[in-house]
Amino acid sequence: MEALSQLFTIALWEIKRFQGTMSRDLLPVAIVLLVLLGGVSSFTAQKGIHLQDGIYRIGVDSPVYLDIIGSDPRYLVYPLPSDVTNIRSLGLDLAIRAGLLLRANGEKGAAAQKSFEHDYQAYLDSIYRQQTDLFAAYPVWIDSRYIISELDFLATQSGQQVAAPRQASENPPLPKTIETDLVPPSEIDLTEMEKLRVQLEEEAARGTDQLGRYTDLLSQQEALGKLKIPSMLSPPLPFDTIIFIFVFIFPLYFTSQFFMMSIMNERTLRQGEALIASPVRPVVLILGKMLPYACGMILIVIAILFTVKADVLAILPLIPVILFFLSFALFIGMVSRSYKELSFISIFFSTIATSYLFFPSIFANVHIVSLLSPVTLVVHVIDGTGYSLTDYIYSTALFYLTSIILFGVCVRNFHEEQLFTEKGLFDTMALYLGALISHRYWYLSLIIIAMMTIPFVFMAQMMYLTLFFNLPMPYSLILIMVLAALTEELVKSAGFVGIITNRYPPLTWKCVLLSSLLIGFGFLVGEKLLLVVTISQIVDSIFGAALFLSFGLIWIPFLLHAGTVCCTGVILKRWGMRALPVGIIIATALHTLYNLYVLRGWVW
Amino acid sequence: MNLRLVTAIARKEIQSLRSEKTIILAILLQFFIAMFSSFLMVGLSAMYDPSVYGRFTGVQYGIGFVGNDSILFDLFSRDPSFIPYRMDPGVALGALKERQLAAVVWPSETPAESEDPVTITLYTISNDIQSTVIEVKIKEILLEYEDILRDIRRDRLDFRPVTVTPSRPVAQNSFYEFIYGLLIPMLLFMPAIISAGLVIDLITEEYQEQTLDTLRSTPATLEDIICGKILACILIIPVQVALWLALLMANGIRIAMLAEIVLHVFFTSTALILIAATIAVMYRDRTKAQFIFSTAVIIVLLLLLAFPSNPVNLIVLLAVGGAPAYHWAVLIASIASCALLIVLIKNVMRRVEYF
Repeated sequence: MEALSQLFTIALWEIKRFQGTMSRDLLPVAIVLLVLLGGVSSFTAQKGIHLQDGIYRIGVDSPVYLDIIGSDPRYLVYPLPSDVTNIRSLGLDLAIRAGLLLRANGEKGAAAQKSFEHDYQAYLDSIYRQQTDLFAAYPVWIDSRYIISELDFLATQSGQQVAAPRQASENPPLPKTIETDLVPPSEIDLTEMEKLRVQLEEEAARGTDQLGRYTDLLSQQEALGKLKIPSMLSPPLPFDTIIFIFVFIFPLYFTSQFFMMSIMNERTLRQGEALIASPVRPVVLILGKMLPYACGMILIVIAILFTVKADVLAILPLIPVILFFLSFALFIGMVSRSYKELSFISIFFSTIATSYLFFPSIFANVHIVSLLSPVTLVVHVIDGTGYSLTDYIYSTALFYLTSIILFGVCVRNFHEEQLFTEKGLFDTMALYLGALISHRYWYLSLIIIAMMTIPFVFMAQMMYLTLFFNLPMPYSLILIMVLAALTEELVKSAGFVGIITNRYPPLTWKCVLLSSLLIGFGFLVGEKLLLVVTISQIVDSIFGAALFLSFGLIWIPFLLHAGTVCCTGVILKRWGMRALPVGIIIATALHTLYNLYVLRGWVW
Repeated sequence: MNLRLVTAIARKEIQSLRSEKTIILAILLQFFIAMFSSFLMVGLSAMYDPSVYGRFTGVQYGIGFVGNDSILFDLFSRDPSFIPYRMDPGVALGALKERQLAAVVWPSETPAESEDPVTITLYTISNDIQSTVIEVKIKEILLEYEDILRDIRRDRLDFRPVTVTPSRPVAQNSFYEFIYGLLIPMLLFMPAIISAGLVIDLITEEYQEQTLDTLRSTPATLEDIICGKILACILIIPVQVALWLALLMANGIRIAMLAEIVLHVFFTSTALILIAATIAVMYRDRTKAQFIFSTAVIIVLLLLLAFPSNPVNLIVLLAVGGAPAYHWAVLIASIASCALLIVLIKNVMRRVEYF
């Protein structure tokens, strides 16, 4: 109860402090800037974004073709002399002569033709849309339906090929079960013509208006109902999800920056010393300081969801993202020595986090890998598909776990010695690890350190999976294998680093051996626990095998983990902390060799 | 302004960047993004251009065909990538669910010359890369089918479009426009944003850590100190830009008119750094300065992009090798705005010097 009132006091102070920084000299400027921003963005929306203006040059022999090019600013149009054969010599990328489209050789000419064909299609559509008899101009309408096949991820990837289709045989296949729930194609008659015409026009307007496309995308008014004409039949453009990232993630990231600065400010000139000296526990201090920012972020998300008229359910997948940003903001605010270090680390972190959120989600509706990112769930809520509890756990568990662990580490290190140290980034991190080792139960600490690194390892490995999943098969597997081994060895060395900075227990040969066994044990237990809970879908595929070694008897992976970390330990004992990279490389090499041996059937 | 003092301060800042290894983080970041862009290329081209999956060529997809339409059936059987089977709907859908077929096509029984359109229900497997690939291939066939039917119903059209026939087909997809029109300008302005953020950090840090007073007790004036910091941030721009260009070229992306591009980026970035430094000197607090600066940058960028022949557009044109000669005029304009900003920041510094 007392802790709770302390928490609110701290939160109140934090709000007051924030108001202090944001007041007087800043507020008028901020208001002016926001008004300017609004004005400028509507101005730019009106004038269009001029980024690729004049990138192609096209020559035409008759002004009729200007209808096709229209107002597309990408083209510079020149009149075409009638006797020219080599259009490249005129510096043109494209030329139209007597209805024939010529292009210059090379990449640029091809790209120009591609863009022209796109414009030509839009021109044709605009002509066809105006026909009185719409069904003569558009005689085919398609209703595309997706069948959910229970095989999904496993079936396509546990084989050697990523998405290998079956070679069709001469005779039609005979399924085991015959579907009974059948709906014949719906007939369209003349009465629906005008409705469909309006839909086509809306769809066309969506394609041309740069900003309109995205605002529509957010409110998801599928202009074309269920029926499409063939030229509009295409998989959803994945670049669109980047808009979701901008809309949701960037405001959250910016708010977490304020929290980061607040923590950093406590450290400059040791201003926070009084706070630490107070009888308030570090965990209350941190949570109190964090509370206003967390509430602010949730309010921002609700406001955005409300503006785009999305279901408020979409907030659930974003909560772990908020926690994730806040925990990293706390960590970065605590470890960086100077403002520029703060900037660089936070830019670095934000790029990686944004990529982690973004790259899987471009495969939304396409692939189960997409579920690795909570943003995919937001996409699903907005487009009306929704998500199941399993999906939620699958895509958010790692975010929750990493945030909570990072909070734990930071709370434990929220003391004078660690906060006001002048050491570099890596030394500070070693210091943090050292503080995690308990003097009495150091062996238990080792197991716990090894276990809590697991979510971070998983996150990194999921990242490798999304990154390299699309490369051709042997390369993707080998790359994933080497990187996975490197990550595992890196985090397993954390226990040794902790022991060395803590200076207790002394690193004797006996201690090296015992610690290796403990770290190997903790790592294995953590790995198995998390695997069972979350990502069993990936585990059983070949990529899962490369990542998690989830096969064979339990003692083989145990010996491997213990053995490789022992290598690192021996090297650390013999040559000290400076030899850590060497130790990790050797351990990685051993680990990879073992993986290759186990998976040899897949690779060659 | 004492030039020796300015360079001494600039040297110190660059050295501390090196020793703090923060610059290494920035370089790592560049590599990371470069890696991602190549991932984007591979991933997306695989999705949109089935031929990227080399091993898929030659594979024939089984298609369940329901109904009696013969034109569409013939189109499918003529295509080497498909083997259509005439099937009962229940059997076809059952086989699709068990992945023994790639898709099921079920056209309505509308005759080709009818008043009404033909409707087709197309079933594919959800959540699957394969069906994306197949959908792209089926789309080509359906477009062909649409052309045939449109030709049969030709007489009912009011007027015809102008026809343009390509002399030779073009490969399914290239990322030319994405690379030159978006990626290159975005990547080249990364260093500017990084450097501008850096100059804010360097200046506000002296205020907030209260080290500025100590520094002022040396012969260096406030102007020398700030100029030194600005100089350090400007100097690292060409290095970062060169690194980007090298990375892009290592990826096989040819960039024309390198020298002009570097000049444009250099002066536009200098203008951004000067804006950032002015804001930092005025506010002396990192949170405030960064907030004002990031909003201001978005405003300036949006405003620039609204005009044709803005520096970013010119960089695109320079990179593809087709820039108009007046890009020199734009360059002179950005140099002039840098000069204006220098006058501005000098005034601001004089005003705040003894506060």
